[in-house]
Amino acid sequence: MESFRQAFELLFPPDRELLQIIGVTLRMSFFSTLISCLIGLPLGSLIGSKSFRGKSFIKKLIHTLMGLPPVVAGLIVYSLFTHYGPFGKLNMLFTVRVMVVAQVMLITPVVIGLTSSFIESASKPVIETARGLGFSGLKTARLCIGEGRSSLFSVVLNAFGRSIAEVGAVSIVGGNIQWKTRVMTTAIMLETNKGKFSFALALGIILLIIAFAVNAVASFIVKENADG
Amino acid sequence: MVEIKNLKKIYGERTVLDIPGLEFRDGETAALAGANGSGKTTLLKILAGIIKGSEGGFHIPENVLYMPQSSYAFRGDTLRNITISGADRKEALELLEKLELSHLAGKKAKSLSGGELQRLSLCRVLSRKCDLLLLDEPTSACDAKGAELVIKAIKDYQRESGCTVIMSTHSPLLALNAADRLIILNGGKVETDGSPEETLANPETQWAKSFVAGWKI
Ligand SMILES: Nc1ncnc2c1ncn2[C@@H]1O[C@H](COP(=O)(O)OP(=O)(O)OP(=O)(O)O)[C@@H](O)[C@H]1O
Ligand SMILES: [Mg+2]
Repeated sequence: MESFRQAFELLFPPDRELLQIIGVTLRMSFFSTLISCLIGLPLGSLIGSKSFRGKSFIKKLIHTLMGLPPVVAGLIVYSLFTHYGPFGKLNMLFTVRVMVVAQVMLITPVVIGLTSSFIESASKPVIETARGLGFSGLKTARLCIGEGRSSLFSVVLNAFGRSIAEVGAVSIVGGNIQWKTRVMTTAIMLETNKGKFSFALALGIILLIIAFAVNAVASFIVKENADG
Repeated sequence: MVEIKNLKKIYGERTVLDIPGLEFRDGETAALAGANGSGKTTLLKILAGIIKGSEGGFHIPENVLYMPQSSYAFRGDTLRNITISGADRKEALELLEKLELSHLAGKKAKSLSGGELQRLSLCRVLSRKCDLLLLDEPTSACDAKGAELVIKAIKDYQRESGCTVIMSTHSPLLALNAADRLIILNGGKVETDGSPEETLANPETQWAKSFVAGWKI
């Protein structure tokens, strides 16, 4: 109860630091989702719709990467971008951009895996029917996307959900720096470590509200355009 | 002309289709029969380019249409499910009329019954032009009246376009009423090949005899 009261107090009127943290969180999650979907949706569709040698190996690889522990991804990205690492010159460590890099590494396999298994199962009858009608590859692909848009949409939301909830990788490469790279999850970690459990829980409640709001808005937009 | 030469389909160790040679004249309507798993769908899918044969090859005309064994309903209403093929509204409505689906024009295609959906799927295919029409069990979900409508639609389309039709079926009615030729497959091989009346009355092989005996008319 104490947590709900604190959550309420943080939100009304909004706390300036909290707003900044929410801003960073949303920015990071938005770009992580965007980039991993730009890579993962086409690649996943390709893997799902084509049969080629080594496909089962690639699928196993993707399934393994889907379970990549976030701290491991964090460490890999950290070692790539640390001062002496191959990308050290870019000076990106402890920035939101490198947090996005780490998250893209974590989320892209998930997007590829979910998209390819969706295309493999659900698109088969669509492809067969469309090819049977003599449609071009382009028109067939468009139909598959149109027919499966609610599933593809939940892939995108899944990616966003992972991104906004993830803490291991972003705390390693982002450093949880106040006013700069602190996001909701790392703030919750920090408060928990300080022993302020109810305040941490208050932040958790707010994180849930944000996630719910994003989901609601997104599905509203899709419903508006879909209807079918 | 459709020309099949040494066509084989092999899954793992199993040869599910093995056709040394088979030809179809232009404008011919042929029915493919045979037990479940005898290779009817496999043959049609290979000709339609949905799957590849393992060995051998075939020659077919350029414009091919294929209606899968299970019908798919696209998003949206029944009418859109036809116009999606490029047909205009008027043509689509005429086809719906022909298959007695007009009253369902505005309904969501996904809500249609099995037999209604199968007739819709046929409308969609017949809204396009082709030289070779491949139909996988086009009456399997239809009642007697529906099957009659489907048969008439196929015959009319064939007459108007002069295309070659190859269709698989478990229905003697379809074979007798719509086809000039009946091919019975057994384990991926051609068991008999002849006129439907002749084959049904006087099956050439012992196996075909017992198969046809199971076909009650
Ligand atoms: N992808 C596949 N992998 C392995 N075997 C397959 C595959 N597809 C089909 N088969 C096998 O090929 C055989 C022929 O199947 P096909 O679908 O052509 O039969 P059919 O004559 O159309 O039967 P039905 O009357 O039930 O429609 C079957 O025994 C089936 O199990
Ligand atoms: Mg079949």
